[in-house]
Amino acid sequence: MNQDVRSLPIQVDAVSAVPALDIDRVSKSFHVAGRRVEALCDVSLSVQAGAFVAIVGASGCGKSTLLRLILGLDTDYEGEIRLDGKRVRKPGLDRGIVFQEHRLLPWLTAEGNVAAALRRSGLPAAEQRRQVAEQLELVGLRDFARAWPAQLSGGMAQRVAIARALVNRPRFLLLDEPLGALDALTRLRLQDELARIVRHERSTAVLVTHDVDEAVFLADRIVVLQPHPGRVARVVNVNLGLHRNRSAPDFLRLRDEVLETLGVRHAAPATAAVPS
Amino acid sequence: MSGITNVQSRGRPAAWQRLPPALRSGVLGVVTPLALLGLWQAACAAHVAPPHILPSPAAVAERFQMELTGGTFWLDLSASLSRMLEGFVLGSVSGLAFGLLLGLSQLGERLCGPVFLAYRQVALFAWVPLLSMWFGGGEAGKVAFVALSSFAPTVVNTWRATRAIPAPLRELAAVLTFGRLDYIRLIALPGALPGIVIGLRSALIYAWLATVGAELFLDIAPGIGGRLNEGRDKFEVDLMLVALAVLAVIGLAFSQLAAFGERRLLRWSPR
Amino acid sequence: MSRTGRRRVATLTVGLLVPTVLLVVWSAVAAKGWLPDQLLPAPAAVWRALLENAASGDLLSNTLISLQRVGEGFACGALAGLGFGALLGLSRTMRVLLDPCFLLLAQVPPLAWIPLLILVLGIDEGMKVTVIAWASFVPVVLNMAQGIRDVPAPLRELGRVLTFDPWYTLTRIVLPAAVPSIFTGLREGLANAWQTMVAAELFASSEGLGYLIAYGRQLFQLDLVLAMVVVLGVVGLLVNGVLALAEQRLLRWQALAP
Ligand SMILES: Nc1ncnc2c1ncn2[C@@H]1O[C@H](COP(=O)(O)OP(=O)(O)O)[C@@H](O)[C@H]1O
Ligand SMILES: [Mg+2]
Repeated sequence: MNQDVRSLPIQVDAVSAVPALDIDRVSKSFHVAGRRVEALCDVSLSVQAGAFVAIVGASGCGKSTLLRLILGLDTDYEGEIRLDGKRVRKPGLDRGIVFQEHRLLPWLTAEGNVAAALRRSGLPAAEQRRQVAEQLELVGLRDFARAWPAQLSGGMAQRVAIARALVNRPRFLLLDEPLGALDALTRLRLQDELARIVRHERSTAVLVTHDVDEAVFLADRIVVLQPHPGRVARVVNVNLGLHRNRSAPDFLRLRDEVLETLGVRHAAPATAAVPS
Repeated sequence: MSGITNVQSRGRPAAWQRLPPALRSGVLGVVTPLALLGLWQAACAAHVAPPHILPSPAAVAERFQMELTGGTFWLDLSASLSRMLEGFVLGSVSGLAFGLLLGLSQLGERLCGPVFLAYRQVALFAWVPLLSMWFGGGEAGKVAFVALSSFAPTVVNTWRATRAIPAPLRELAAVLTFGRLDYIRLIALPGALPGIVIGLRSALIYAWLATVGAELFLDIAPGIGGRLNEGRDKFEVDLMLVALAVLAVIGLAFSQLAAFGERRLLRWSPR
Repeated sequence: MSRTGRRRVATLTVGLLVPTVLLVVWSAVAAKGWLPDQLLPAPAAVWRALLENAASGDLLSNTLISLQRVGEGFACGALAGLGFGALLGLSRTMRVLLDPCFLLLAQVPPLAWIPLLILVLGIDEGMKVTVIAWASFVPVVLNMAQGIRDVPAPLRELGRVLTFDPWYTLTRIVLPAAVPSIFTGLREGLANAWQTMVAAELFASSEGLGYLIAYGRQLFQLDLVLAMVVVLGVVGLLVNGVLALAEQRLLRWQALAP
């Protein structure tokens, strides 16, 4: 049932010996009202530098918890999470995160919010200003640099949050359902932008989503989680090339496959079926 | 409430309804003061009460003019205001510092929180005799009382507001690897600002109340509250009414000023 | 002992640390005679003053008189305030007519009326109850009116969709939605009544807790003053507790809301 993902055939294309992100048999439980609730159970996953991994699963299956562990916000768990072979102990600027709610500071302008992420960067002030302007340009919000978050639409606020996550040029970009709260049209548009931005930044990305289309559109690899407790049900490689067409037959077939895994409870773990 | 308002407005003439709403409320707004003034004048004309109990509007206006030009009015006003300002600054600045200590440091909260809560149970004016013995009934005692009055509301609101910074924002500070000072400057202080502003507003109201109270209870000195006492001692109701009117206008000015400051400080807020 | 139990004990211990230190320092200062008794009597003296007054019955009779004044004043002020606040909240015309005058009067600190009221009503109960009533009236009116005006538009719309008549709208939608705000007003009103009672008794009275404080001050008996300060704190706490309990019972639906 709980298989070691690293032993799957998809790992054959592993290039370097030490993966950039290595999640090694991680289990995590919470104590709720005196009872132990298992959120993650024996989750293993390794991600090579520059890869784009999507994690999909029903809500409550531990996706956000996994990201919090990678961030180092919570270190009370079993197993180990390593970045370039070193265990994660606390948050660091090598990891940028976009939360599901944009989580902008309402008392800072768009610009100020992005700049806040550079407080600890040690860059000189002029360089910080340049970086902030560049990131806002990248997410297409140059003209809104001085706007308060309350004056931005949901999509714009989320783009500021993306700029904030990217401004430190993190090696890892973690995205926790970043587009989940947006309307369908804005979501499609921002998916295109995310693809472009991540390619431009060349960072290693972990995207949590419950939108399977989004996962197939953006990721090189899709990890399907199963709830209660959260564990890896299946890993699917996506070999659809750089420019993906949301209505191409290959795309749809892959999507349906992932959906099937999600829809059927306690499905027997299939070996990663890679459509050719 | 449209249901109820509609019922009431049904009987009104159409021409009145067609006037712009701002004009209508402006007209209605002066109706009541004028009516009260008329009533007052009529009561005086009918000799409802002897003139030393119920002076006529004209007599009060005359007294006011006399105070403005010939009396000590400006001296009293500036004495009251400077007393209040000194006390307010003292009380609110120390209140802010203490409130931040309680809100930002768990140890500080555990050590000093219970003492502060116990202190807050005592009615403000119960401190008057103590303060007058410790600081004397003169200027020091009065300023100390005003400071004490603005201390507690500032502390309570600052404490509560800094404690209530939502967990997601604390988490954000951790993700951005903020240090203690960054957290206070970029997250805790601005996040608590709406609460702190509420505290300062209520501290301002209390400071004004305490200024008048100190002037009524402690040693005689120039001040609006002193004039109230004088009016009572000399049985000069016109003087008392003038003093009360001045208190009302200054209170109003303070609350307008506070509202203006609040809007400036909280420009980022959606409301 | 369980983990939470141990933590609670630790919190309590830390919380008692500062009061204990204060008490010890206070006793030491008084015992060494660093400050004259008239500035800082010993804790024991304060305790003695408290016991003496309790034994003679003065404490109880004066507390009851103070409570009676607060009760009468608050009851009058709060009832009138609920009515007047509802008027200002429900009728736009009334608001436009009366709000400016009321707001201007509300800016005057309540105790500033005392000297004038003494001339008009004399120095007796009437004056004290009137000023206490006015002090509790103001916040009740403000919060009642605001609470009614702030009833969410979707709720009012619901009333119209269900074709409620005005009375039903008032009792089933407007007033229940305004209850939290009404209680804020009542709480502030009670606090104001309490403060104003002490002020009025200090200023002009021959009975009551405030009077005992003024009396102690005149005779330079600071132990009596401090003892009464403690009593005021404890009684104030109890009175607040009663209101909080009532509020909890009436606002049960709010606790259940997500
Ligand atoms: N701080 C916490 N305390 C207790 N339980 C938690 C906490 N955070 C998450 N959980 C539980 O862990 C499980 C996974 O939560 P989460 O990671 O937020 O799921 P997802 O992001 O996939 O929707 C849920 O059952 C949730 O109730
Ligand atoms: Mg989640």
